[in-house]
This record gives sequence, C-alpha cells and structure tokens, in this order.
Amino acid sequence: MRYRAFVIILAASLAGSTSVASARIKLAALPERERVEIQLDNGNYTLVEEERIVPLLKSGKANNMIDFSWSNTAIDKDSILFRPVAVREGDKFRPVKLIKLADGTEVPEVNVINVAYPPNENALVWEVYSAEACACKVRVSYLISNLTRTFEYRALADKKEKALTLRKYMVLHNYSGEDFLGAGVWAGFGPKFQKEINQLDDLKLLIKKFTDVPIDKTFTFDWYTHGALNPDKPLASKILMHYRLTNDEKHKMGEFPLQPGKVRIFIEDGHGGEAFLGEDWAALTPLDDTMKLYLGESRDIVCTRIIESNQRHNVRGNLYNQEIVIKYEIENFKDAPAKLRILEQLNRLGQEYSGNTHGDVEWEKGGKTSKEIRFDYEFGNAAPILLVDLPARPVDKDAKVEKVTIRFHVMLKNLWP
Amino acid sequence: MKHITTAIILTILAGLLLCPSAGLAKNVDLVTLPARDSVQLTIYNSEDLTLVKETRYVTFKKGVNKLQFSWANTLIDPTSVTFRPLEHKDDVELLDTVFPGQKPQHLIWNVESKFEGQVKVEVTYFTSGLTWKMDYVAITDPDETKMHFRGYVRVFNNSGEEYENANVRLIVGTINLVEKIAELAKRRGIPVPQPSAPVSSPLRLEAVHGIMEKAQRQSEGRAGAKAKEIIKEGLSEYFLFSVSGEETIPNGWSKRMQAVEARDVPFDIVYRMREFQYGPRPVRFFIWRNDAEHKLGDSPLPDGQVNLFRHKGDGADGLAFLARQQIRYVPIKAEIEINLGPDDLVVYETRRMGTERLNFHFHAVSGPPHEVVDGWDDRTNWVDTIRNYRTKPIKFELRRQWDGDVDYDSEVATTLFDYRTTETTFDIAARSKRQYPATVTVHFGTNAKQQRVKLKESAR
Repeated sequence: MRYRAFVIILAASLAGSTSVASARIKLAALPERERVEIQLDNGNYTLVEEERIVPLLKSGKANNMIDFSWSNTAIDKDSILFRPVAVREGDKFRPVKLIKLADGTEVPEVNVINVAYPPNENALVWEVYSAEACACKVRVSYLISNLTRTFEYRALADKKEKALTLRKYMVLHNYSGEDFLGAGVWAGFGPKFQKEINQLDDLKLLIKKFTDVPIDKTFTFDWYTHGALNPDKPLASKILMHYRLTNDEKHKMGEFPLQPGKVRIFIEDGHGGEAFLGEDWAALTPLDDTMKLYLGESRDIVCTRIIESNQRHNVRGNLYNQEIVIKYEIENFKDAPAKLRILEQLNRLGQEYSGNTHGDVEWEKGGKTSKEIRFDYEFGNAAPILLVDLPARPVDKDAKVEKVTIRFHVMLKNLWP
Repeated sequence: MKHITTAIILTILAGLLLCPSAGLAKNVDLVTLPARDSVQLTIYNSEDLTLVKETRYVTFKKGVNKLQFSWANTLIDPTSVTFRPLEHKDDVELLDTVFPGQKPQHLIWNVESKFEGQVKVEVTYFTSGLTWKMDYVAITDPDETKMHFRGYVRVFNNSGEEYENANVRLIVGTINLVEKIAELAKRRGIPVPQPSAPVSSPLRLEAVHGIMEKAQRQSEGRAGAKAKEIIKEGLSEYFLFSVSGEETIPNGWSKRMQAVEARDVPFDIVYRMREFQYGPRPVRFFIWRNDAEHKLGDSPLPDGQVNLFRHKGDGADGLAFLARQQIRYVPIKAEIEINLGPDDLVVYETRRMGTERLNFHFHAVSGPPHEVVDGWDDRTNWVDTIRNYRTKPIKFELRRQWDGDVDYDSEVATTLFDYRTTETTFDIAARSKRQYPATVTVHFGTNAKQQRVKLKESAR
C-alpha cells in the first residue's frame, strides 16, 4: 500500500487566487516514481531521493501548486527538498537553464518559489514557477527515520591461520512504513545495489569480499586487568587471543574505512568444513588502522608472574625510588611458536607496592631485564608491552616443555607517600 | 508419528524466477521439502552454542530462485544462517537474504543460477540448547603408585530438535561470544522452547526408543561391540573431539561416551603446607602429566570433574573414595594436580620458641624532655615439626609468607619463592619426624625500611 500522495495541481484554473488552501484540489494524475535511491552514507540519517517527471503548465497569473503528502511513513518534514533538474526537449532531457526576466535578473526556467505547510497534516505544497509548459524531471529528497543499516562481517581463516577471507555485509532494516521496490541502495562506499525492500523486512547484502588478508595473531597477558587465573594458579592470569587485521593495501584491504559491527570468525577445519572460532564487536577502523578482534582465551600458554624482589631506596627525606624485579615463567604447550605480549601497567604496580604515585610513574629499565624482551609502547609509556617469542612444545613425546623465564627489572622513581 | 519436531523447510518459489520485481507471491510456498541429506553438530562447551551444518539437494531453475528457509520450536540465530552451493559453485550465486518482518523464523535467499537441475547445498547456522561436559574417573592401586584413568564426554540435548544420525564434534576451548545465541533467536519474536517434560510418559519413552533403534539400524547395520572412537585434533587455540560415525541424541536426553583411557599411569604424591593458600593443615596432592610418559598426551584434557578412588586390595575388589575435584583444562605435556585435602597421617606444627627485642631506636620529645621508642627489631626462633605416620616416605613442601621488613635465617637450605615467601622441601622417611628451625627478625617502626624477606647467606 502506497503511503504517499504526490499530487500536482494545475494552478491555471485558479487564476487570481493566491490562497493555498483553496488550491489543494487533488487531480487524479499521479506521476509515477521513475526511480528511487536510498543513501546510507551518513550513519545517523537516511536520505531517500526520488525522481519523477512532473508535467508543468506555463506560469501565467499563477504558478503550479504541487501537493506532497504522506501517512504512516517517518519522513522528516523539515528535510524535504524539491529540485527541478531537467526539462524534456524532444525525446531527451536537458538541464534546467537560466532565463532572464524582464527586470534583468536571471532565474531557473523552473523555479521553486515557496513551500507552504498546512496545519496538522503530513503534507506540504510547493509553488513552482515554470517559464513554459513542460515535462520537468524533479528530484524530491527527504530524510526518513527507521530505515537504517548495520554492518556485519564474516571471516574465514585458513587452517594455519596465516590469512583469511573477510566478507563485509550491510543489513538494511526497513521499519519506515514504506515499501521500496527496485530502489538503488548505496552505503557510501562499495557498489550500488538495486533492491526491493518491503516494510518490516531486513535485507542483507554482501558489500565487499577481501581475500588473503594476512592475520596477525597475538596473545596478551595483562595481570592488572584480569587478575588471578583461578585459586589453583593464583599467580597466573588469562592469556587473550586476538586477530589483528590492518586496513591498508599492504594487507589486502585499504579501500574504505571499516564500519563498526559484529565480526564472526570461522576457520577451515581441514576436512572441507569450518569451525567457529569466536566473535567480537569491531570498532570503526579508519584506513591504515588496525582492527583488533578478541576471539577467546588461549589455555595452551601459561604465564605466571612473580614479584621476585621489591626494594626501596631512599633519595632524600621521604623521597624514594622503588626497585622491583618481576619474574615471568612462561610455558607454551602449543605445537607452534607464539608471540606473547605482556602488558605491565606500571601505575598499578606503583600503587600496589608504593602507594600514591601522584600521576603517571616515572620509571627506567634496570640491568636485570632479560635481553630477549622487546618493548612496545602502544598504550603509552606507563603501560609498556613486553614482547616475548616462545618456542613450540617439543615434538619428542618424552621431552618436557621448556619453561621460559624472563625478568623485567623496573625502577619506579621519585615517589613519596 | 513424525519424530522431527522442527520443521526446517527449504522451499523454492519458482513463480518468481522471471519477475524479480513482481513483489507478489512472497508467501506462495511450494510443498517441495528436500530432505536433510546429512547433519553435523559442532558443540561448544564454554558457551551455549552449536554450529549445525546440513547438506541438502535443491533443484534450481535458470535465473533467480527464491529459497525460503524456516524453522519452528528450535532456537536458531537468524543472523548466523548461511547458504553456499557445494556443486556448480561458479554457476550458483547468492544475491541477497531477506528477513520478512511479517514472518519470524523465516528467511528468503535470492539465488541466481546459470544451472538447471539438482545442486547439493550446505546450510549452516547457530543453535542453542546442546551442550557437553567432561568427567573423569581415576582408580589407583592399593599402594597408590599407579592409576587407571578414564575420561568421558557427555552430550546434552535440550534444543527442541531430535538429532538422528548426526555427526557430532565437540570443541574444547573458551571462545568469545558478544551476544548469546538464545537471545538472538528470541529477538525476532521466537518463543523460547520450554524444557522437555520429564521422561516418565511410557508413550514418550517408546517413541524415543523407536528413534534410537531406527537410527542404529540405518547407521550401523548391527550393534556395535565397543565404544566409538573419539578422534582428537587441534584447531587454532581449540581442540576438536570428533565422535566417529553418527549419533542419535533425542531431545531431552544426554549421552555419555568414553573419550580418554590410560592404564598404569604413574603419579607422584606431594604434601604442601601453604597456610595462605590451603589453610592451616598440609594437603596431599597426586600429580602427574598429560604426556606420553604417563600414557596420555594425545590431546589436552578439558575442564571436568575428577572422581578419585583407590582399590582397597582387600580381595573383594572394593574401592575407597579419595577425592572429588574439578580440574581445569590441561594442555598437552602440562601437569595435572588433584588436591586430596588434609591427611590425618601427616601432621605439621609450628612453634615460636623464644622472642627477643633488640636494636631500639629512640626519638626525643619535649615537655619534660625524654626519649620514646620509635623503632625496634623482633627476633623469633621458630621450630616447625612434620610427623609422617605413613608407611611410605613422603615429599613435603613448605612455603611461608612474611609481611614487612624481614631477615630470615635457617641451617636448612631455604629459597625465596617470591619477595615475601620462603620455600623449603623435605623428604621425610616413613613413620618418622623432621624438624625445621629458623630465626626470623622483623624490623618495626623506623627500623623498617623495606617490604620483603631477605635471606641470610647461611640459609641459602
């Protein structure tokens, strides 16, 4: 059921009357919608653009009055635009041109003079000047509510987790009150689609498929965020597994920013099927940024954190330095090597062993820090990330897993109670 | 009586092949119901989630085909449903998926096909209501030196669907889910199936037995003589346990299958005294590894309850119950520890044998002038005694935590576990006792400069 009436009133019969209310006599002629486009590039608003061919009479004593009304559709009245774009000449259309009036001013040959809004109605009336009688192609655009889109992703990793195929879907949700048959749909990037979407329907479309996207798989240990693993292992903590995908050309993406949405990750099982690895909400990922997806915990890497020594050195008065050596004992029970990221929140460390740190801690690395640790400062200087390479568990069935022991020697400086 | 309570229907709307914009015939359903050719269940234990993979044969015409997929009385997450052709992949393309607002538990695939004829397709989706868990039974010999160790998987079906002849796979691991499947399934107005009625109705039992017998006849031809093998393989951070062959698990039922078995598994016994962790009495641990040396090591061991018994060796084949404990996931080559709790035959006592105060520090105060103590040391002699009444020698580990600025001395070799915890290990002969003396000096007030234990050279 069509919810909108788009009516043209031939105003010539109303010569001399400037009252809009008395001119709202409906004709039976309803120009059909030539085409409609739904623009979803703005995350907060949906723009609908219709194109119609409207027959106009030559403006004489009065102009053309075009009535536009709607019901049960969530159109934003203040957003409605009427734009004459072309005029038929022969069997073709040409752009609306400027004409010179008697007083020398130039105006478009088809020109919207004003818009009137009747009270208590979902309707408006355009007063349109037309230099000649013509068939005019017009665009009517408006913002519509409850016609929204969300994004979803589906990733399929190869069994070795080296690369994945990432499919990006757009899901249209049409609760606007209007059926859109054969509408052109555009998300603001990617291809345009010609689709039918009825009222109350959801429509899921594949926007883009990225293949061979390299996977950066990481394991992260963060003592102060997750705490003890369980009462049996009070000094171990969770190891979180992430896939990190970079949105750039080098990583086979980089065509447009990736909108927020749920990402479901699957893996080839080596038998022609798939298994589900996990899902996460992806944040907006601009070009050249990294999409970080948390899949779950890795229970085959165990990291135990021990405060090996804790020493205070007086500087002057009640000013002191706190020297702490943190020992990590790490076992990798996986059959592949792994890269572990240990996040040390030094502000929390300072609060635990010194009290008030009076802001971000000042610190320096001590000589007992293991040489094999590489440092990264993705989260800033007060939360360094220690990168440690772990060997795979031994292939020999009788060999035990080697416990990798590393130390982080840190001097927290210039503290006072 | 049709046993399948879920109607999962694939319907081809042939009338719309040439008129994609017709907008009518949305609800015209053909009666064609392609039977499910095969079904595979991948069940996760960390979340209420099962990935169902079905294959079916669908007849396509050239052009755009509308396939309607619908379900009832089952919790399926509509956002997870996928479709892909397994044959003629270059000729069959999924254009889009419509979720009609007027018809919950339905979706329509618009599929363009250049091929006319029957095509094998795969439909996958997430469902809820199927779970599994692991449990273990360990029985030691009377001397407590070796054990017979078995692990069982138990699959529970509360999904509302009868799964006949399904290929069952179980995933070991902790995945991340941002929305529960049962909630997603409810979002488009689907009521949650209520738990099944208790299986007390004779008619119901008869019906279920009928399903299981029929499934067995179809799948095996004759009754199996031994338990099915469960094949284990790694997949990313998870492990996949695949039950060989097919299983039938009626709705409301569960099924327990043996997944792990190892005989004559050697293990160690250790006593641990850690008041801060285990309480005031020493506790006994059985420890072994998930590796080849201990007749295991094929796969990780999932979380599960262990029931530990001992053969009494009394000739009557009787068992004594030793302990029940929930174990956490055990990777390959990692240790398994079972805490049996305190042992009445091993006793630990600690005594303070004398305290002296020394190294006083004073500060002067006025009105009238005098001195007050603001720092001192407490030196205490401790003697710990461990008595072993067992008929075997034992290994005993002692850890003690000390707060404050502490100097520690002992004639027995002692190490520091961490900055405030001392650690010592003893071997104590059968039916004997052992003493552990130590001298502990704690600095108080202005004498306290640190928060750690310092070992004297003699104790190292």
